[in-house]
Amino acid sequence: MRHLKRVVTHQTALEKEYDVVVVGSGISGSIIANELSQKGYKILILEAGPGKDLTLSGYEKYLNNFYTATSKDNNAPYKRNPNASMPRSVDVKKKKPGKPNADSYLVQNGPFISDFTYSRVVGGTTMHFESKLPRMLPEDFNVLSTYGHGLDWPINYEDLMPYYRKAEFEMGVSGNVSSQTFSKQKAYADDYVFPMKEMPPSYLDKCVAKDLDGAEIKLAGKTYSLKIRTFPQGRNGIPNENYKKFNNGELFKPVGAVSEHQAEEGERCQGNNNCTPICPVQAKYDGRKTLAKALGTGNVDILPQTVASRVVIDSATGKVDQIVYKSYQELDSDEHTTSTVKAKLFVLAANAVENARLMLASGLNSTSDQMGRNLMDHPYILTWALLPKIAGTTRGTICTSGISDLRNGDFRSKQAAFAVDIHNDGWGWATGGAETNLLNIVDNQNKFGKDLRNELVHQISKQLLLANMVEMMPDPKNRITVDHKYVDRLRNPRPIVTMEIPEYTMEGIAFARQLSKFVFQRLGAEDYSKYDPMDYGYVKYKDEDYAIRGGNHLAGTHIMGTNADDSVVDRNQKSWDHKNLYLVGAGSMPTIGTSNTTLTLAALCFMSVEAMLKDLEA
Amino acid sequence: MHLHPIETVEDLYNYLYVAIQLEHATIPPYLTALYSIHPGTNLDAYNLIRVVAVEEMLHLTLAANMLNAVGGNPDLTGEGFVPIYPAYLPDGETDFKVGLEKFSMSAIDTFLNIERPAVVDSRNIKRSGLLKISRKNISILPSFKSSAGEELHFHSIGEFYNAIAEGLKKLTKELGEETVFCGDHSRQITAEYYYSGGGEIITVNDLDSALAAIRLISEQGEGYEGGIFDYEGELSHYYRFQQIKLGKYYHKDDKPGHPSGEDLSIDWDAVYPIQSNARMEEYPKDSELYDGAYEFNKFYKKFLKELTVALNGKPEMLLPAVGAMFRIKEMSYQLMRNPFPGKEGITGAPTFQVDSI
Amino acid sequence: MDMNNEQLDEFLEMSTVLTAFSAYKLKGTGQLEAYFNTVVEIVGKATMDELLNAYRKVKKAANNDETVLNKQLRFQILSNDKLGPITRNIIKMWFIGSWYQLPNAWRENYGEAEKDSTFVISTNAYIEGLLWPTIDSHPPGAKAPGYGTWASKPQISEL
Repeated sequence: MRHLKRVVTHQTALEKEYDVVVVGSGISGSIIANELSQKGYKILILEAGPGKDLTLSGYEKYLNNFYTATSKDNNAPYKRNPNASMPRSVDVKKKKPGKPNADSYLVQNGPFISDFTYSRVVGGTTMHFESKLPRMLPEDFNVLSTYGHGLDWPINYEDLMPYYRKAEFEMGVSGNVSSQTFSKQKAYADDYVFPMKEMPPSYLDKCVAKDLDGAEIKLAGKTYSLKIRTFPQGRNGIPNENYKKFNNGELFKPVGAVSEHQAEEGERCQGNNNCTPICPVQAKYDGRKTLAKALGTGNVDILPQTVASRVVIDSATGKVDQIVYKSYQELDSDEHTTSTVKAKLFVLAANAVENARLMLASGLNSTSDQMGRNLMDHPYILTWALLPKIAGTTRGTICTSGISDLRNGDFRSKQAAFAVDIHNDGWGWATGGAETNLLNIVDNQNKFGKDLRNELVHQISKQLLLANMVEMMPDPKNRITVDHKYVDRLRNPRPIVTMEIPEYTMEGIAFARQLSKFVFQRLGAEDYSKYDPMDYGYVKYKDEDYAIRGGNHLAGTHIMGTNADDSVVDRNQKSWDHKNLYLVGAGSMPTIGTSNTTLTLAALCFMSVEAMLKDLEA
Repeated sequence: MHLHPIETVEDLYNYLYVAIQLEHATIPPYLTALYSIHPGTNLDAYNLIRVVAVEEMLHLTLAANMLNAVGGNPDLTGEGFVPIYPAYLPDGETDFKVGLEKFSMSAIDTFLNIERPAVVDSRNIKRSGLLKISRKNISILPSFKSSAGEELHFHSIGEFYNAIAEGLKKLTKELGEETVFCGDHSRQITAEYYYSGGGEIITVNDLDSALAAIRLISEQGEGYEGGIFDYEGELSHYYRFQQIKLGKYYHKDDKPGHPSGEDLSIDWDAVYPIQSNARMEEYPKDSELYDGAYEFNKFYKKFLKELTVALNGKPEMLLPAVGAMFRIKEMSYQLMRNPFPGKEGITGAPTFQVDSI
Repeated sequence: MDMNNEQLDEFLEMSTVLTAFSAYKLKGTGQLEAYFNTVVEIVGKATMDELLNAYRKVKKAANNDETVLNKQLRFQILSNDKLGPITRNIIKMWFIGSWYQLPNAWRENYGEAEKDSTFVISTNAYIEGLLWPTIDSHPPGAKAPGYGTWASKPQISEL
């Protein structure tokens, strides 16, 4: 593949005419660029981050950065880039009363301080996402009319079904359809299977399932039976023979590492236990896999180190006239040039926070004034315990299975639904991982030699961490704003986050905590969960302590709806106000249920492509 | 062992056994050179050699699919299956040595020999691709005894595969395709259990698929019709290695011998100074290095056994067997980082002596 | 760096006691010289001499008795306010490939070295951390054991 040739310079881009300008080379931008370019349209992608990531050696540099980073947070593989900063959990601090936290990229206005992150590099946040890819449930699309909370979508689950299939093909989903039934409504055609067979459950999963499967819990007057099931994942496994009928009779062909030269790598997951922050062999899907195809058409150019700075509207037509961008030369210098780019169609695919930030920075609050509002994420409450026996923790993909039985039910009229992940990587997310155990054993428990080794086994190989991902509904008060007081090095306004965890969600969090206690009791596991009031994510609710973590499933900042007064975009993610502008990604989602957002946003992009093609043909 | 002209299905079994043996025989030399590279250095060369080694595994699997297709039983566990290195392979009228050595220009020259496109000198060669010469070394490729009892030698590995193709055609003609390809199809390794980007696994159930498998093996090695790429558009092994020798990547339209792409960065010194063609018995018996080499051989023997199980009707066992490759790498590094007692500046290396266990 | 082979061997031997891994396994990580050099660079050659001298005394006193050796190691080295923190750092390097900044008290008493901050020694040091084989696993992001291997019981036995 000669995709490197498509990484163009500023000068080259200026001399060409493009049909479509896409802001952002993450999964949304890549899907749209790929689909449109296959039809012959000329696309220019503006990418804020550096563009050296499309070669194996470029990727190896990321990997090296990760290996040698003392903090292995989600963005550890990427050099700090003040020209296009990204949030990092290591920068998050407890909020002081009375003023926002403003000393790192995200300005946090509180009252809740989240450590959510996203990546501003080629491939976007899929570079560090875990690639857990469940669909949303049919009920999630009508959650307001069904349960009286949140918003209804302008589309139904059925409308999205064919596009879910496209997304599952594009991302190469491994999974088992039969483990995905917790809706009262039919969610999959009878004979449908995912492209690849489910990732084998870890030994840890099996240790938990042995004593938990079949356990019953009561919630809002109903009894639910629990079962450990696998999650669908965008990770290469064993192609499913039965998928052939959905793939023109062909076995699904897994897509390996992105490389200029033959790589023979990444066609199958090896169990590196490092999906987040970085899969070393690229067996995990990331947006570059789609981007490489798009660049391979010869119709797509990408302009890296180019930050979209302002969307300019033609006051006569209300259409977007051009995008002003700032293009920088070096990561460690603020030297840059400012220029503009025009096209027939503009697509903002920069993610929920950055899309809203760019629109608001351009003074475009939308007719509905909903731009930047309804910011959602999945708050996580982590619970952790030590199992009575060795369970082989730290092996496998980050997560293979969990509890999904409480993703839907009548209780949703009172409290948030949630899904529970069994973390194969142990306590890392909560405590800092095996390193923390080692330091404690050496420095405080004063062990060396054999005793040290035995203690490591005892303290790490029995770890069980449950990550409870809780539903959060849209609330116009939770929002992204900008203020020219807060700008980055290129003088682009930084996003200001105002967020509070709604009571509905807190009820779900409280129940999830109780469920963990029940699970640990059944397994005979010692509960080590502890929530420090000094923790930045600390919340006290009904006299109980919680420390809440961000899920990086940012959504809702430009929600879709039925008219220009209630929403920012229509069902095709097209702006109500500006007829040649699409705002795509999870920002368009009015609710997010208990599904990691990427599969749904990918499906939405496939759906939007059809509307874009119509616009382009017109 | 001598090979005869392929007259019977039994003869075919012998040829395909040799094919599997031959494909395997290239793996220890490639792995030795690969793992002798200091991790994290020589990334271009490392990836080039790694990819070739992966494809040799594919060739081995394809040969096993062919053998299974005609009703044979692949066996990687027999005595003598793994050659004693240095071993010899034919290259026209002479042999060349294939040894276990560190990443070096001399190792790359050997690899180029292994993958060299056959240049047929028609003066001294029979129609069948056989040569009448005397060879003093014991080659991995057995000699050939004609029906008249004449001792001949294959000109090259390519000619050996040609002989298999001819034999398959002949038997199919004589006995009928269904009689020849009578193997149980469930014994085939399918793409479910084996896949890699460059060259897909071919399941063999008739003459066409068998010939396609042979074609893939020869073209991945040597190139297609004299070009530098195989028919799938991947650079052939020979030219991939030549890139290391010449220090430059090939581009799509380059002529053989004249790559015009980016430079490879090669550091011949970022390599463990391993003992070439190391032998377990040369390590001091009471040393940890000896124990390490012994453990390695034991593990490698187990690996071949598991592979044999997978290739004999349990394709799902291929995944755990291939998983063992990670351990082989780890154990190789340990050997290569430990000094060879009594040899200044030389370290150990895996010996691949499975018959000594 | 000028490396004294005899010292390196002593460092290796002491490391086998501290980690309960054999000399072969320790050398097999390829990190022996790097860890030795890191200690010397940060605490200086004289302190390294002091540490290895102390170990020599411990060994002499133990006279091949493991119980005595372990006890003497605690008396002479691990509980020593100068040598203890360095030795614990050596253990940590072997297990996870990082150097950790020495405690403040140590830095106040024995001087702050410019390089004495918390850092990962190198990519390979991270990859070769012995914590991972101890729990029949691998460092996150490296040395993966292969598809599906996570489904089976780990091979861990108490020492």
